[in-house]
Amino acid sequence: MIAILQEYIVDILIGVGYTMLVAVIGTVVGLAIGVLIGVYRTLPCPRNKAAKFFKRAGDWVLGAYVEIFRGTPMMVQAMVIYWGFALLNNGQTLNVTFSGLFIVSINTGAYMAEIVRGGIISVDRGQTEGAHALGLSHTQTMFNVVLPQALRNILPSVSNEFVINIKDTSVLNVIGFTELFFVAKDIVTQTYQTFRTYLLVAIVYFILTFGISMLLRLCERKMDGKQNFKLLGSQNLDAQSYALEAQND
Amino acid sequence: MTDITAPATASQPVLCVQHLGKTFGEHTVLKDIDFTVNKGDVICIIGPSGSGKSTLLRCVNLFERPTSGKIVFCGDDNACQNPRLLRQRVGMVFQNFNLFNNLNVLHNCTLGPRKVLKMGKTEAETLAKKYLAAVGMDSYLNAKPKQLSGGQKQRVAIARALCMGPQVLLFDEPTSALDPEMVGEVLSVMSDLAQQGLTMLVVTHEMNFARNVANRVIFMDDGVIVEQGTPQQIFDAPQQQRTKDFLSRS
Repeated sequence: MIAILQEYIVDILIGVGYTMLVAVIGTVVGLAIGVLIGVYRTLPCPRNKAAKFFKRAGDWVLGAYVEIFRGTPMMVQAMVIYWGFALLNNGQTLNVTFSGLFIVSINTGAYMAEIVRGGIISVDRGQTEGAHALGLSHTQTMFNVVLPQALRNILPSVSNEFVINIKDTSVLNVIGFTELFFVAKDIVTQTYQTFRTYLLVAIVYFILTFGISMLLRLCERKMDGKQNFKLLGSQNLDAQSYALEAQND
Repeated sequence: MTDITAPATASQPVLCVQHLGKTFGEHTVLKDIDFTVNKGDVICIIGPSGSGKSTLLRCVNLFERPTSGKIVFCGDDNACQNPRLLRQRVGMVFQNFNLFNNLNVLHNCTLGPRKVLKMGKTEAETLAKKYLAAVGMDSYLNAKPKQLSGGQKQRVAIARALCMGPQVLLFDEPTSALDPEMVGEVLSVMSDLAQQGLTMLVVTHEMNFARNVANRVIFMDDGVIVEQGTPQQIFDAPQQQRTKDFLSRS
C-alpha cells in the first residue's frame, strides 16, 4: 500500500484535488440555489391575481426540479446530461470538468432547496411578526432576521450534504471525470493491486470527510458566538441621566 | 404606581376604529367595534379569553385585515392603506416578546430605525441606548435574547418599539408569559411610559394596572364592546351584568 502511495502520490493528489473542487463548488453553488429557491417558495402569497398565477407557476416549476433531481440517481443524471448535450450538438461533448461541476451543483441544489425551506420554516413566526410590527418588509425581515438563523440551523444538514458530495463525486467517473475514484481505477489497471489500491483510496476518502466534518463543527461553534456577555459598568449614572432626558422629551 | 385620574384634556384623536368586524370563515370574532383613541390615552382592554381582544389589537396594526369597517389613522390617510406605513406609527409589544434571536439587545433596537427609518448607525445606537436606559436595560447591550429573563426580554421589546417613535403603542398581554416578580418590573416601565404621555392601547389581565394607570377601560365579551368608561365606572360601578360577573371573579 505504501508502495502504491509512493508511486502514484501525484495522481492521487490530483484525484483528491478534483474531488474536493467538485465537492466544494457543488456544495456552495447548491446551497446558493437552495437559498434562492427556499426564499422564493416561502414568499407570502400575493393578493394580485396575475402575481398569484406567476407565483404558483414558479412554485410548480421549482417543485418539479426538486422532485426530479431528488428522484433520480446522480450517476444517471450525469449520463443523461453529458450525452444529451452531445446529441443536441452533433457529437460535440461538454467539457468534462464543467459537466461534473454542473451536475453536482444542480443535484445538490435540489436537496438544499428543501433543507433551506425547512430552515426558514423552523424560525418561529413570532420573530417575523416582531419585524413586521416595526414596519420591516418581507425581504428585510428575511435577510436580517430569518435567514441568518435559518442558515445556522441548517448547518448540520449542509455539512451532511458536503460529506455526501465528497463521496458521491465518485459516480462522475462514468463521464470520465478524473476524480479520486477514477484515479484509483487507473492505478488498478496498471498495478493489478485491486484490494490495496481501494483500501488506500477508502482511507483517503475518510480523511477528507472526517476533516471536513471537524472543520464544519468548528464553524458551527464560531457561529453560535460567545456563551456569556459583558455587563456594561457604571450604568447607574447613565441610566439616571438617560431617564431624565427621556422625561424631558 | 401613580394614580392618574385626570382624563386627557383637549381630546385630539389619533386613531379611530370604525365599525370594525372580523370573521375567520364562518366564525365571527369581532362585531361592530367602534372607538376612538385620543392623544395621551391609556386604554386597557379587558375581558375573558377568546373575546376577541387580541384580534382587535392585531386588526389595529393590520396584522389581520378587517372584514368590515376600518381603521383610520388621523392625520395620515396613506398610512391606513399601507400596513408598513401604519406600523411605523403604531408599534406593538407582544406576549412572547418576539425579539430577534440572532441579534444582541442593541441591534434588536437599531434594526427598525436603520432599515425602516434609514437612520445612520451612530444616531440609531444613541437612540437605542436612550430607550434601553429608560427601561433599565442599558447595561445589557451585548447580551443575546436567550441570555435574558422574560421580564428583561419584554423591557427590551418595549425599548425596541419605542425606538421607532410610535404615536400609539399596542400591548398584547405583555405580562401574561411572566412570573409575578417580572410582571412588576414590566408594569412599572409601562406606568412610567403612561406618565410621560405615551398613547397606549393595552390588552391585559392585570386589573390593578387597568384601574390605576388607564384613563379608559374597555370590557369586551364575545366579539363586542360590552361596556367602556373610566376605571372608576367600570370597576366600581359596572352597568352590565356581564361586566359584573367577569369582575367578581378576578
